Amino acid sequence: MGLRLIPVSLFQVKRDMRKRLFSRGIEHKKARWGWIFIIPSLVFFSLFSFYPILNALYTSLFKKKLLSLASPQFVGWDNYTYLLRSPDFWNSIRATVVFTLGTFVPILVFSLLFALFIMSRKRFQKFFQMAYYSPAVLSSVVVAAIWLLMLDPRGLANQWVNFLFDTPGIDHKWLADSTMVQISTMLVYFWKYVGYFTIIFLVGLGSIPNSIHEAARIDGANGWTDFWYITLPLLKPTTVLVSIMSMLQCLKTFSTQYLFTQGGAPLEPINVITLNLYNTTIRDRSIGLASAMSIILFCMMLFFTWLQFKTFKSEEVDY
Amino acid sequence: MEANRKRKKKRTSPQSFIIDLLIWAFLIVAAAYIFAPFVFMFTASLMPATDIMKMPYRWIPDGFYWQNYWHGIRGNDGSFVYLRNIFNSLIVASTVTATTAFLSAFTGFGLAKYKFRGRHIVFMMILATLMIPFEVIMIPLYLIIMKLGFQDSYLGLISPFIVSAFGIFLMRQYYLSFPDAMLDAARIDGASEPMIFMRIVLPNSIPAIATLAVLTFKSQWDNLLWPLLVAQTEEMKTIPLYIVRFTAEKHTDEGAMMAVAAIASIPMLILFLKLSKYFLGGAVVFTGKKG
Repeated sequence: MGLRLIPVSLFQVKRDMRKRLFSRGIEHKKARWGWIFIIPSLVFFSLFSFYPILNALYTSLFKKKLLSLASPQFVGWDNYTYLLRSPDFWNSIRATVVFTLGTFVPILVFSLLFALFIMSRKRFQKFFQMAYYSPAVLSSVVVAAIWLLMLDPRGLANQWVNFLFDTPGIDHKWLADSTMVQISTMLVYFWKYVGYFTIIFLVGLGSIPNSIHEAARIDGANGWTDFWYITLPLLKPTTVLVSIMSMLQCLKTFSTQYLFTQGGAPLEPINVITLNLYNTTIRDRSIGLASAMSIILFCMMLFFTWLQFKTFKSEEVDY
Repeated sequence: MEANRKRKKKRTSPQSFIIDLLIWAFLIVAAAYIFAPFVFMFTASLMPATDIMKMPYRWIPDGFYWQNYWHGIRGNDGSFVYLRNIFNSLIVASTVTATTAFLSAFTGFGLAKYKFRGRHIVFMMILATLMIPFEVIMIPLYLIIMKLGFQDSYLGLISPFIVSAFGIFLMRQYYLSFPDAMLDAARIDGASEPMIFMRIVLPNSIPAIATLAVLTFKSQWDNLLWPLLVAQTEEMKTIPLYIVRFTAEKHTDEGAMMAVAAIASIPMLILFLKLSKYFLGGAVVFTGKKG
């Protein structure tokens, strides 16, 4: 029996080997093609992404001037300690944090509200979606320019607020007062992005199956309890996503503040980190310092993202 | 989304009727708040500066004060550099859109459909760059561009954006569910891998590519920080830079300022109305859910 089996199994092995060789050939060929498909992007990323990231870290340890022939001087952590002692930079951190909190919290609340209300309508859903999204289509610079005029002392903002609060003829100094100008930048950003996040919430709401709501109704839930105990917990992943995305957007804000200062608003209250970074690069040409700033901004973004994950304690939601 | 819409049972208690009315009112007021700046931009662009800042703002212009558009395009120095800047924006945004769409699809396909060692690492590395804000790599990028001699040129404006990590991510996710049978059928018919990609994969991924293209075009149209660094001469500037300069210099010519802004917005608004599906779809690609 053994004797009879041997040739068969040998044959089997041979066929197996041939099959494996053949398939390895295809796999091999496929692997080669895989590399060919990714190599152009890989080259690009190495030059324009991976290298700059390392270079930013490296440059932040040097005293280096843009367009200067003098060779950069190694200063270790000096750039960081200088920044962390500089009241100007702390002001930038303050401006950034205030702007971020003052913008993304209202965006979160109102975009959820808009989404819920749109969802509850039987008609005009598409219209409201498009209407609320439309500001996100405009350039930030255009948006800032429109609002710059609306916030002018003689502009619409004063007219509206005075009409609403019945305070005729008062100038609210939207662009002059240091508190008001911060609120103004928040208003601009809120206007531009609230619709964008409304759309994301709408998708989140749409993916909660109707059967769950119906089950809750049968169990006696009314609109409010349904929202509080069904919709909101099931919407948590979307909420986390929106809050992190909007927060990261706000931390990176640049255009609004830049155009406002160019249009004559005071720099100091809205001198967010990115603006400071730009001025340090272009005006002061201290790119070592600017690199350190960018690394600190990055660390702030990481920290706040981590903080949000922690506060939301996001667990997977299945439905 | 339509199908999942909550179906309310017919209740006509006065209370729910009032709530219903309030929600409509809220939505309409919010829409008015959203639309007001748009309307302001277009109406103000057709008014002489003295009318714009008149105290109760008149929402309907008296006539058409086309001079604003003329002033806006002509610029302070009468150089008509805005036309060149619009052209620049178009060139940069469309080139970046084309290369990003193509290369993202190319790489995304490679990462999704070929099994080779190191592809996970490569994918993770590319994905990790999504976390890095542009501000961090901006200065080193600027130095590279200067070394390459690309400053103040289209190459300088375009090259840092020819492919995006986000695009690769988007396309890879899309291609993961692309039917293998289709690819194998083509292979059996003797098609080479590039041919498969060009003839079968690309034509079948138009929706994903359109979404990516729209997002890319929008972000390039909006890009301010990078052109601020790279474009030094007026001729090489893009639309956002022109608006900034115009605002800084001609702050008092409000009508012309709004005309400039309106010109910059009209292409995007038309694109939005035509391709709203992809704009709205693009907003949600991060959620990984189908809308």
